[in-house]
Amino acid sequence: MNEQRRQVLAMLSEGKISADEAERLISALEQPAGRPSDSDSAQGVKNRPKYLRVQVDSEEGGHNGPTKVNVRVPMQLLRAGVKLASLLPAQALQRANHAMHEQGIPIDLTQIKAENLEELVEQLNDLSVDVDQTDERTKVKVRVFCE
Amino acid sequence: MIPFVAVVSLRNQQSRTFRLWIPLVLIWLLLVPLALLLSPFIFIACLVCRVNPFRGLAVVWQVLNALTDTELEVEHRAAGMSFHIL
Repeated sequence: MNEQRRQVLAMLSEGKISADEAERLISALEQPAGRPSDSDSAQGVKNRPKYLRVQVDSEEGGHNGPTKVNVRVPMQLLRAGVKLASLLPAQALQRANHAMHEQGIPIDLTQIKAENLEELVEQLNDLSVDVDQTDERTKVKVRVFCE
Repeated sequence: MIPFVAVVSLRNQQSRTFRLWIPLVLIWLLLVPLALLLSPFIFIACLVCRVNPFRGLAVVWQVLNALTDTELEVEHRAAGMSFHIL
């Protein structure tokens, strides 16, 4: 029994508070401040996206007809993937850095830590990317979103 | 749970669909002895690369678990293909 609960019971036994008040105080002590209720956390889990979806609709001129690509990747796989990436040895990361610099991509992979990647995946929940390209011969529409 | 089945669907120009169910569980069973045979080499490679082999094993297991529900579909007027891990 913790100290606060003991104090509440002492106040009850001294008659300073009623049984109802003691019950309310004890139940308030059992629920830590700032902690979401069970229904809130269940709602959060329910609303949490499960998949990253990539849809590509491409329509080329001529008689090829439209091409549709639909990829559904579980968010869990992304999380496992970033954990796998965090296991890459330093030499491999340096080689990857070098190759990316040659391609004009100034990203230092050695600075990316596992916890940052986790955070990145968490933020993907609100991600939505729409790309539309239309010219004389082709019409391409790319959508990346979480669901 | 690791995925047990993958389904590959292929559609040809005549709209005939060919569906192939791949029992991944058999592939995992075949890979277990191979992984056991290779485990000393994997262990040494992990040590050389300064990677904790147990952590590596745990992450590979997580990746296998997370493969469930992965889906890829490509549709074209002439043909189509889909790959679904169950």
